[in-house]
Amino acid sequence: MRNVLRKEMRLSASVLSYLFILFGLMFFLPGYPILCGAFFVTLGIFQSFQTAREANDIVFSVLLPIAKRDIVKGKYLFVCLIEGCAFLLMALAVILRMTVLSASVVYRSNALMNANFFALGAACVIFGLFNWIFVGGFFKTAYQFARPFVTFIILCFFTIFTAEALHHVPGLEKLNAFGTDDMAMQLYLLIAGILSFLLMTIVSCRRACAQFEKIDL
Amino acid sequence: MMIVEVQGLGKKYPSFELRDVSFGLDSGRITGFIGRNGAGKTTTIKAMLNMIHPDNGTVRFWGQPFLDNEAEIKKRIGYSAGTVSWYPRKKIRDIVSIVKRFYDTWDEEAYQYYLNLFSIDEMKTPLKLSEGMKVKVNLVLALAHKSDVLILDEPTSGLDPFSRNELLEIFSALRNKGVAVFFSTHIISDIEKCADDIVYISGGKIVAAMPKEDFIRQYSEAGENLEDTMLRLERSVLHA
Repeated sequence: MRNVLRKEMRLSASVLSYLFILFGLMFFLPGYPILCGAFFVTLGIFQSFQTAREANDIVFSVLLPIAKRDIVKGKYLFVCLIEGCAFLLMALAVILRMTVLSASVVYRSNALMNANFFALGAACVIFGLFNWIFVGGFFKTAYQFARPFVTFIILCFFTIFTAEALHHVPGLEKLNAFGTDDMAMQLYLLIAGILSFLLMTIVSCRRACAQFEKIDL
Repeated sequence: MMIVEVQGLGKKYPSFELRDVSFGLDSGRITGFIGRNGAGKTTTIKAMLNMIHPDNGTVRFWGQPFLDNEAEIKKRIGYSAGTVSWYPRKKIRDIVSIVKRFYDTWDEEAYQYYLNLFSIDEMKTPLKLSEGMKVKVNLVLALAHKSDVLILDEPTSGLDPFSRNELLEIFSALRNKGVAVFFSTHIISDIEKCADDIVYISGGKIVAAMPKEDFIRQYSEAGENLEDTMLRLERSVLHA
């Protein structure tokens, strides 16, 4: 799989996928819907799928001495690697905002969602949705990605809107916790986000492997 | 020794059907796969390599079903698909640096040899290559990992007569090393020059699969060369 991942990173990937990892740092922005950062990261990955399609990447990969399912796994691995890097940047921003920057006025007066563990968990859900809907949808044909991407965009912004709105609902104010407030609840939500990411990714990867086997190239 | 066995391959499309395609490839022999455009050559080759899924039939390499041993079998196969270019904006050197990691048998010396033979500049991108040069790049990739079987889809299309001749000479040299060469073409003179066996397909159906001498003996009429025979056969198959 190391060779497949190397091929993904050096031949198939668009440079935008790497640059757009930096959108993870949007978690530092006050007064901005920070989960849009996760969307922009997926937009960068989408560019790689577009570049790869133009370069006949899938047919080229099929000819390499690997099983067809390894091509699918390689794509998922690459996508998860980019998402993982962005997640680390987001986590860095969250930890700094929860600790040394927690008293900062611009963050305290922030009307929008705070960068906390709940936000990180929500970013994981967005990444999971991307893997499930877009990557999984792409491997139904290994060619068409417009419909899966539009479907993902709709669900992604629904998730962003919901996550932003929830803490305004009476009783759910704790979702917007500052610093280390309500730490246990925040951690549970982060774990729930990570688990949903893993579940969506693993299930869609397995399904994509099976679908890709059936495709005529 | 029979190293590739294709048995009863069939695939139905709305406007075309591949029917009961069967033939075998021997080591140390060159097999020309001939048929007019749209006869089913590429479909057959793609079905052999699991790129399309046949509705029926089996493909075995060294007695093993392709689907059960895909990765291992692919390591011993060289495949080239004519002028199709991969990663048009990447340098050939960069593409090769990735590809060679997949093959334990990658032969850098052979790679450099074929690169020089075909006058390919590694620093160029496929986008800057002519159609003929793209064919050559694909061939170099297929030849550089010491394949036991070469499966080449229209390898001579787009090549100038000198390069075609060089290529046919390379096929002969590989045959002498025990490699099985299977190439599709609609250029009958290529078959005439170097093929040991002929697989002739028309309208998705194998018309003949036999040694070239047997084919000529069975189908040629007095004074005909192979091209005349093929043209006459094609006309008679079409009007049948």
